Amino acid sequence: MLATLVTAVVDGLAGSLIRVEVDVAPGIPMTRLVGLPDAALSEARERVRAAIRNAGFEYPASRVTVNLAPADRPKRGAAYDLAIAVGVLVASGQIHAGGGSWALLGELSLDGSLQAVSGVLPMVATLVRAGHRRIAVPAANAAEGRLVAGAEVVAVQGLDDAARLVAGPRGRRAATASRRPATRVSAVDPHGDRPADTTRPASLVAPIEAVDLADVRGQATARWALEIALAGCHNLLLVGPPGAGKTLLARSIPRLLPPLDDGEALEATVVASVAGLLTGVAGLCRDRPFRAPHHTSSYAALVGGGPRLAPGEVTLAHRGVLFLDELAEFDRDVLDALRQPLEDGSVTIARAGGQVQYPARLQLVAAMNPCRCGFAGDASRPCTCPTGEPERYVRRVSGPLLDRLDLRVEMERVPPAALLEGDPPEPSVQVATRIAAAREVARQRNGGVPNALLSGSAVLRVGGFDGRARRRLEEVAARQLLTARGVHRLARVARTIADLAGQGSVDEATILAAANLRDPAGRPWELAA
Amino acid sequence: MTDAAERAAWITLAGVDGVGLVHFGALVGQAGGACAVLDLARRGALHDLPHARRLTRAVRTAIADAAHEPERAQAELDRSGVWTITPLDAAYPPGLGDLADPPPVLYGQGDQAALARPRRISVVGTRRPSVLGRALAGTIARQLVQLDAVVVSGLAFGIDGAAQAATVAAGGVTVGVIGSGHQRPGPRAHASLVRDILTRGAVVGELAPHARPTRGTFPRRNRLLSALSQAVIVVEAPTRSGAVNTAHHALEQGRALFVVPGRPGDRLTAGCLRLLRETEARPVVGLDELVADLAELWPAVGSDPDGRLQARPAVPALSWSDALALLGPAERAVARVLGAGPAGLDRVIASTGLAPATAASATTVLQLRGWVTLVGATYVAAGPLARPP
Repeated sequence: MLATLVTAVVDGLAGSLIRVEVDVAPGIPMTRLVGLPDAALSEARERVRAAIRNAGFEYPASRVTVNLAPADRPKRGAAYDLAIAVGVLVASGQIHAGGGSWALLGELSLDGSLQAVSGVLPMVATLVRAGHRRIAVPAANAAEGRLVAGAEVVAVQGLDDAARLVAGPRGRRAATASRRPATRVSAVDPHGDRPADTTRPASLVAPIEAVDLADVRGQATARWALEIALAGCHNLLLVGPPGAGKTLLARSIPRLLPPLDDGEALEATVVASVAGLLTGVAGLCRDRPFRAPHHTSSYAALVGGGPRLAPGEVTLAHRGVLFLDELAEFDRDVLDALRQPLEDGSVTIARAGGQVQYPARLQLVAAMNPCRCGFAGDASRPCTCPTGEPERYVRRVSGPLLDRLDLRVEMERVPPAALLEGDPPEPSVQVATRIAAAREVARQRNGGVPNALLSGSAVLRVGGFDGRARRRLEEVAARQLLTARGVHRLARVARTIADLAGQGSVDEATILAAANLRDPAGRPWELAA
Repeated sequence: MTDAAERAAWITLAGVDGVGLVHFGALVGQAGGACAVLDLARRGALHDLPHARRLTRAVRTAIADAAHEPERAQAELDRSGVWTITPLDAAYPPGLGDLADPPPVLYGQGDQAALARPRRISVVGTRRPSVLGRALAGTIARQLVQLDAVVVSGLAFGIDGAAQAATVAAGGVTVGVIGSGHQRPGPRAHASLVRDILTRGAVVGELAPHARPTRGTFPRRNRLLSALSQAVIVVEAPTRSGAVNTAHHALEQGRALFVVPGRPGDRLTAGCLRLLRETEARPVVGLDELVADLAELWPAVGSDPDGRLQARPAVPALSWSDALALLGPAERAVARVLGAGPAGLDRVIASTGLAPATAASATTVLQLRGWVTLVGATYVAAGPLARPP
């Protein structure tokens, strides 16, 4: 007897439909799984066999063939378990599929209960688009599944729940007739270790200690540069000795960022779902992502990939900020891998079985010491690095990566006296208001694009540079030997400074202010004099 | 034996690895010429020379190999674009004659005439200077360019590089003296500086192009720095440093020594203070005073209008108050802060109370006028702003 059920798989950030076909036929008892399963999926055989017995059903002593269609696409993960198990029950006649058509998602435990899976949001969206509106998902994923409009999502605790759904009110009698009482072996509640907290909003903001700008004393230049960077989505590099406040300043970023709009929030929530970060939360990710991976992060952790093919930090930071502290301490390969997302807004992970593309339209904020000991150029403490070491240290960050940064700020340590005297500086709320307003103005003028992503010709066309500003731009370009890329960078930064000041056009003074912020690649330290 | 053949033999013998100043002098002296040394080596009779017995077998073999292929040393020079001057040549810098151990061959790239210009002065100092020291090295170098002097230095990181980069930027002539072969002149990060220097100046050293620097080559290079100059200026030198070493060479060779003083207790200038206390070095107390001291040293040349060294160009200098009158209110506020001493943008913002964008814009205006220079992340007053009332 043949049973056919519908489930889904995540491929990149999109879901795709998978048909599970189960055939139970007389023959030597054995189970075959076909359709390019990976290791986790091949083990589904053992999980399904145990789950069926422990949920109180019989595993058929016949020849069982499970096909995952389309057969040419490699399948990963364990989200098919539930569909396979229910398929076996239907095909072996233990239940009748009288409850209409259900799509099933979930990984089985050996006791027949269901585990949460990642990527439920895009999978449910795909199923709904394909016309399968009735979907059973693990209870911990239910809130996530219900985010999709038009989906009729039912939370199921285990295989017996799912069997009851599929059997419907009439088939249920047939089901119970053949059923032994369920064995509850485990003494603990299977979900006890991860209580479903449906009040917590989804978030891609790294768990850091948030800082208010009112608590950041001194550092007027760096505060100003950060405001410009966040208002125009410019990539920012902070350079300074330990204790200058680079990390402190970066921790103020989450409170300065405007929330995501509806479209962005859905994108971010899909990313969180595929990364498995949505379990047990309600609502879309509304906070702009802020990711702060450690400098020991691997290539796969930062860029994506790995054995389970998960999105990396660059994708988790999509539409938000990626903060890399101690930039020069990251692996060179890892840093160079950032060039593609910074350029294209996406990362492509190529595998033997095809390639996936994750979005990665991120803003990079990076911090680093000027040398290994941290005190090169510091006024009060000598640098203890060997000769030539500071230059080598700075060169660890490759030129092409530096060239993709728009702003560079050299921070100095704040003298202790300045930490105590004077009025507290401007709090984050006021700065955040200016940033949000500037972003909105830029978005409307540029057709939805932040200033940093305007092309060189576009910024000069729509930027509203007056005649004197253009002449100053030419003068600065000639004096500082700027390349075309440098001139455009200067123009974009000037446009953002004008947006923050609420100016419709860019005037001469704004160009001069932007010219004061340094070229990120800079010239070598030695020739700066 | 022609002069040309003897000169070629000098270059061949001096280019042999392991033949330094001492061996070269002793071998040539005992054989009565470099050609004679190579002849002996070709005949396998090098051990006839008493000094040859003190050479290792490897060095003797190397000399014999070189003697059999005399054209190889010249081919290496041609390949690297390196010219040579030997004491046999008229162009051999007379200053090198003041050395107890003059190099048998001076290797160089660029304009040989730079070594023969009438005014030559070394600017040396620590590899890791302070922001101010770096700026001062540049200021002194620019002043020297105005005096039509060649700036001689060691192409190292720090003061040396800052002085030579400023000289090149000001359109002046500078000579880099290297302690390695010409295939690796100075630190790799200075490759573009070397290229700039070679357009008008020269890079010279006493090692064959392929030679690798060793522990001793850099200190020995220092004696050439002072010998090629008429005076040495030391900017920021710790007690044990190459710059102090160069200063002592200068005194031994009878060169004038100028030292920028520092503050007692400051490690970076401890060597400078010691030089001022223990030798007859002149302190550098200001550019005008430095120029006045140099005027005694250097005879007048054609470029000086009235036959005397001029501290400043013929255009009358702008006074502090006249300069301030030319500025807008924001620029004036920034000028007052920087006139009181170097400061980063943070200090400028805090001291003027201006908005960051306004302060940044005003600072850029001053930079474009050339009245403020950026050193690292610190702004340093220049021109009229460097002369507050």
